[in-house]
Amino acid sequence: MCEGCGCHEHESIYMPEPLTVVQTHPMTERDRFFEFKLNGKDLGHKPGQFAEISIPGIGEAPISVSSSPTKKGSFEMVIRKVGKVTAAFHDLKPGDTLGVRGPFGTHFPMDEFKGKDLLFFGAGIGLVPLRSAINYALDNRSDYGKIFLLCGFTDISQRLFIDEMESWKKNPSLEFLETIDRGSPQWKGNTGVITTLIPKIKDRLSPRNTKAFIVGPPVMYKFVILELRNMGFRDADVIVSLERRMKCGVGKCGHCQIDGVYVCQEGPVFTLDGIAHLVEAL
Amino acid sequence: MELLQISKKELLEFVGTLVSGPLDVFGVVAHDGRFAYDKLDSAANLRLDFDETLYSPKQYLFPPKDPVLSYTPGDAASCAPVYAEKDQAIIGVHPGDMAAIAMLDKAFTENKIDAHYCTRREKTTLVGIYPTKPGKYRFTSSMIKPEEPYLAADAFLIDMGDDSYTIEIVTDRGKEFFSASAAKPATADGKAKAEKMKTAVKDTVTLKIKREDLPPFLDGKERHPVWETRGAKCFSCGSCVTVCPTCYCFDMLDELDLSFDYGLRFRTWDACVLEPFAVCAGGHNFRTKAADRIRHRLYRKQKYLLEKLGLAGCVGCGRCKTACVPDIAFPPDIDDDLLRKEAHHV
Ligand code: SF4
Ligand code: SF4
Ligand code: FES
Repeated sequence: MCEGCGCHEHESIYMPEPLTVVQTHPMTERDRFFEFKLNGKDLGHKPGQFAEISIPGIGEAPISVSSSPTKKGSFEMVIRKVGKVTAAFHDLKPGDTLGVRGPFGTHFPMDEFKGKDLLFFGAGIGLVPLRSAINYALDNRSDYGKIFLLCGFTDISQRLFIDEMESWKKNPSLEFLETIDRGSPQWKGNTGVITTLIPKIKDRLSPRNTKAFIVGPPVMYKFVILELRNMGFRDADVIVSLERRMKCGVGKCGHCQIDGVYVCQEGPVFTLDGIAHLVEAL
Repeated sequence: MELLQISKKELLEFVGTLVSGPLDVFGVVAHDGRFAYDKLDSAANLRLDFDETLYSPKQYLFPPKDPVLSYTPGDAASCAPVYAEKDQAIIGVHPGDMAAIAMLDKAFTENKIDAHYCTRREKTTLVGIYPTKPGKYRFTSSMIKPEEPYLAADAFLIDMGDDSYTIEIVTDRGKEFFSASAAKPATADGKAKAEKMKTAVKDTVTLKIKREDLPPFLDGKERHPVWETRGAKCFSCGSCVTVCPTCYCFDMLDELDLSFDYGLRFRTWDACVLEPFAVCAGGHNFRTKAADRIRHRLYRKQKYLLEKLGLAGCVGCGRCKTACVPDIAFPPDIDDDLLRKEAHHV
């Protein structure tokens, strides 16, 4: 295979590009918001894609892009501190540099959904990638019908994008509802898991003309899907983004597989009918 | 295909000149009665009559800890790719292992090209050898098609049983390689005999299912009790993956030089049978049970890679049978269980 094919002349698929921190602030005890910029260009991502972020000497981690591609000049991510590499990201200050590879993976096909109603379920850190699609839809508001956004967090300390949620709540062009699993005295809003919000909007949903997006912790998918199916949603209209260990991002390392499917290539965004047959998907 | 012949003595003399030259030459040597690939320091150590080696030759194309980037710590702009620089030859690769290399070639070049693998691969001359002894658990002819080793090989040796070898020249690189040897064109008789000798040593094990029938056979058996039964005995030690010529899952690892002003990012061997393999950034482990991990390994071997690359993820070398202490890893045994239990269900 290797006589004069020239394949060694390709650029390294592991080679990062330099990235600069524009601003950063904590969102919860373990989640930190970052605005990054590349040297004189955009990341070129689509809603729902991820990138590999790295600090030379520490390591690399796959992180979802949280901003919509309609935002130019910089992009945003939220990084949860779970290990050595992500802890080092949390120490970065404005002006610091790190490395990026990507964007990688499939995206929320927002262009195909023109004319549809949109129903977003964003639970916990799932709101981070979902926000790229939410803001894309809001920036192209006239392309879509009704927009419903349901958010859920385990408790009050885990809420993300608090200011932005406040603006969504006030925005008349979408219906926003939030709940937390475990209530507390300071919390005046809804309590209960995210599916408890569905009855509050149910009479305004048209399952045959709506695309439903689900992104959240692994336990959540089955419950939301069950409710959607009961309401008459078709699996082809349900879009999920699945988290897996995207180590290489380029379809080689094997870490991201669900059955035989490479999530870094064929995902992380899937329609439910594309993965319902996979044993390891949900 | 051009056929040459060479006496054993002439071949060893040729290997001797290679070993003392600039090339890194790897081949099979005997260590305490067992065979293993090693860097040759003398032609006299080279064994071409081995049954099976402990490890496969994949380590020379996909090293266990392979640097891919160098950098100044903390400085992303300083990252630079690292590529293999030395030319090398591997002499004495069985057809199964050669087909495994063809599979690795495909895996690292399909879709996105891995230039680190390709650079090393382009610097490698591969000389195969048809087995002269049965492997204890070999079932290669159940798993590969006879032409597949030729996707990777530059030349193949055939032991003629009379102190000589026939050399099949597969590529220009192979021709160039043997041009400095005393090999002569093979005679018509020699050619006919060589073809017979290629299949003289038979497999010890035969898979009961044809390779092309394996993916449909495995469909729907993801929840079969065999995974729990075998998984209960698995130590999650990773040996079955380490010895396997086709396994190529990897992790990435950053390491700093002791001076702290220089570092490398390595691609390191990983194994899907290890407990933390599917732990993701959120901390969730998507394959907590050994049963799920050994099922995933077997499905990669007999279904996923075959479907993805058109080449089998198992080449029937039998190494995992020897390496697995509780003896639960051998694909033909697992298939037998699946067949037997299937018969029970009916
Ligand atoms: S799975 Fe076992 S028999 Fe098959 S190639 Fe790997 S080590 Fe050899
Ligand atoms: S199957 Fe055997 S060799 Fe493989 S991890 Fe389990 S115990 Fe180890
Ligand atoms: S992340 Fe490496 S194969 Fe998908």
